[in-house]
Amino acid sequence: MELHITNHAAEVPFSFMVQELLTGNIEKSEAKYAVYKKMRGIAAIDLPDIEAAVSLHFGQGTLTIKPGISPDAAVIIRTQAAQVMDLNALNIRWGLPYYFDEAGRKVIGLLFSGKIKIKGLLSHPVLLTRLTIIMSVM
Amino acid sequence: MATHKAFTQEWLDAWKQKIAGSQEYKEIAKEWEGSVGLICNADPSKSIPNPVYLFTDYWHGDVRDFLVCDEAKVQTAKFIMTGDYARWKQVAKKELDATKALMQGKLKLKGDLTYVVRNVKTINKVIDLLTEVQTVWPDDV
Repeated sequence: MELHITNHAAEVPFSFMVQELLTGNIEKSEAKYAVYKKMRGIAAIDLPDIEAAVSLHFGQGTLTIKPGISPDAAVIIRTQAAQVMDLNALNIRWGLPYYFDEAGRKVIGLLFSGKIKIKGLLSHPVLLTRLTIIMSVM
Repeated sequence: MATHKAFTQEWLDAWKQKIAGSQEYKEIAKEWEGSVGLICNADPSKSIPNPVYLFTDYWHGDVRDFLVCDEAKVQTAKFIMTGDYARWKQVAKKELDATKALMQGKLKLKGDLTYVVRNVKTINKVIDLLTEVQTVWPDDV
């Protein structure tokens, strides 16, 4: 399993956590690896409370992590550091994020309350769904 | 309420007692298995002349060994968290969230990060219970 993940955001400690988390998740799951190999586009994670932001440049089997929010990011997830863990806790069922259990309802609640803001939620649902799948630790 | 000097065996025993007495912890931690080593880097300016090594062991809601130990023992832990004295003090005083500290690189984790994220509630509860231990810090004496 070759992941080809490169981290160009060494100045953002959070980038190493993202790198390690994605590597661990994808290496443990053939299904997540298959999703990862389909991913193309840029998704960013912005955590203003700890002044950390990274952009994930996916290229169908490669990932380059860069510092900051790319102006070309199709998906931007903006939330607090503690809440980004709630996204990682989403369960995957039938190959898709599952929003009808406790973890899913919590994320929906955070979305509706504005505690998690997602740019590209409606315009780039495929990239967002795939990102959610490979970020899930469940 | 009794106070304990930070990073001593008595302090660890008090922490262990808090965890063992928490029904909420037992529920949250029923999936967790494995030990966590804690390393506090030396900081002579804060009366920590040498690194401090702590070994804590958890098993499906129970707590096992909580020991002040040596480097060799801490390296046997399933997970190892390392940080400077000032960071550990902030975490133990609830001034710094441990999760945020990891994301900011203020604390470093060695071990399976996906397992830790999957069980982040357990980690947070253990640290919450540490904040309840009345602690005397070496640089406050």
